[in-house]
Amino acid sequence: MKRIAVSRCASQLLANQLPRRPTCPYAAAKNTAQHVTPHSHRIRARWQSTAAAQEDDGLGIEIPTPASTPRSPPRAARKPPPTPLPLEKLPSPHPKAADSSTKLHALRSRLSLPPRFPLPALARTLVHPSADPDPHFNNASLSILGRHLLSYYTSEYLLCTYPRLPMQVVFAAVEAYIGPKALAIIAREWGIEAAEEPGGEVEPGLLQFKRIQSGGALPEAFRRQAPWAWNVTTTHKITRTDEFGSEHAPPSPHALQRTPVPNEEAAQSFVRALIGALHVHLGSPLVKRFFRDHFLSRHLDVDKLFDFRTPTRDLSKLCDREGFDSPIARIISETGRLSRHPVFVVGVYSGKDKLGEGAGSSLDEARTRAAAAALKAWYLYRPVDVTVPSSMEGELDTSKWRPNLIDCGEVIV
Amino acid sequence: MPLSAIKTIVKSQNGVGAFILPCKSLSFHYCNWWGSSRGMNAFIKASLPTFARNNPQIEFSVSPRPRKHPVIIAEYINGTQRSICVKNLQNEGVREKAEFLRNHSGEKDRKIGNPVTSVNESVRGIWDPFHGAKVQL
Repeated sequence: MKRIAVSRCASQLLANQLPRRPTCPYAAAKNTAQHVTPHSHRIRARWQSTAAAQEDDGLGIEIPTPASTPRSPPRAARKPPPTPLPLEKLPSPHPKAADSSTKLHALRSRLSLPPRFPLPALARTLVHPSADPDPHFNNASLSILGRHLLSYYTSEYLLCTYPRLPMQVVFAAVEAYIGPKALAIIAREWGIEAAEEPGGEVEPGLLQFKRIQSGGALPEAFRRQAPWAWNVTTTHKITRTDEFGSEHAPPSPHALQRTPVPNEEAAQSFVRALIGALHVHLGSPLVKRFFRDHFLSRHLDVDKLFDFRTPTRDLSKLCDREGFDSPIARIISETGRLSRHPVFVVGVYSGKDKLGEGAGSSLDEARTRAAAAALKAWYLYRPVDVTVPSSMEGELDTSKWRPNLIDCGEVIV
Repeated sequence: MPLSAIKTIVKSQNGVGAFILPCKSLSFHYCNWWGSSRGMNAFIKASLPTFARNNPQIEFSVSPRPRKHPVIIAEYINGTQRSICVKNLQNEGVREKAEFLRNHSGEKDRKIGNPVTSVNESVRGIWDPFHGAKVQL
């Protein structure tokens, strides 16, 4: 459950920023980049790109054409035209090549993105830092933004929809929705293909990253299993670790420059960077719709995520905490007690209320199943009317807001 | 730890939220010399621009394939490839084949036994002899 500063990524980013006090690194880069003299040949050669910091007009929200085209003549008039580098010398495709790429046009239509989303920005999301170490041309910063947005939207959906879910299950559900494997699958389902080798002459619609040699070992950044702290508790996982509550810190995107990476890492960075780029160029309402359509529409059985160790003990603790009568297991029906396949149906009762029911081939198994069913019935409570906090971002009419249930938490045994 | 969680991955349901057309790319191969390509050449000249404009999510490519029959090759999201030889077909026939490839899911052709498949479990549950009107507690 990675925290995100809502003020950074909320819709006020869409308004024109005051020039004095940029609140986000993107805006800061936008205001300063005009005065920076590029000192590298490559940057000079690609200076008119649409690396996201280079746009003049706001954040490109309601611009019908890509922002790079109208500004090129005056800048070219101010500076002497630099000698263009051959494409093979560039580590990643030239941003100008994006507008003529059929793959990128098709990808944008396939994802139902509006035509005002610039293709150079889409091309930039496909460049992993392992291919191009220059942060102006790779997707590292966008993928960090997109990762925070994804974890924010997923965790708020889960916490508001299932307010009583135990933390371990929340972590597992977040990982099921936006974990590295899930994102790699999503990228594959969007029709993303990887380039064999990144380079300036490569088609910009392909995923650009440095592959691990066949038979080669995993690079050091992935093998290093650095724990977050010496005592990683659940509270620590909530506040300090990443959104999946993982044991070890994942490598930062900026640390993967020129490192060969697995396909999964590059694919997940693309999906995250696409979310970040959509947020920057099209605004958060569209990102929320995109997230609902492409991520939340996937199927997850939350009740299959539970793995109880001692459900009977948890249930009696829960009843104790909530002030119910202590649970009692009673046989509802049975058959073939002396046969090879006996079946017992056991219900767990608290007073006169049946909390859960389970069938098993022994009395103990049936009782355990019944207790697990009762616990799931408690933990999987869903309020009828749910409004997530992000749905009220930038809304003037807040009468639709329903306060969310906040539960006191799972049973501590 | 009283409770741990099992890691899974969400199942995709194409079309529930967003729909991604399974057909990723279509490439049309023609020959300028052989008569079997006559319909294909007419299709490329007359109908292909409209067809491509109506399907912006597909990557189109046209390439010559001299001294061979004309062929349409489609690639799908799941990585499969499907090709149809359109020799001696007229413009309309080529268009029908192209639409067939566009609408195809890319899965192998197989006989479907039960026409209904669902990821949701049954609301009524599995039949159980102990539950019903006659069972008395």
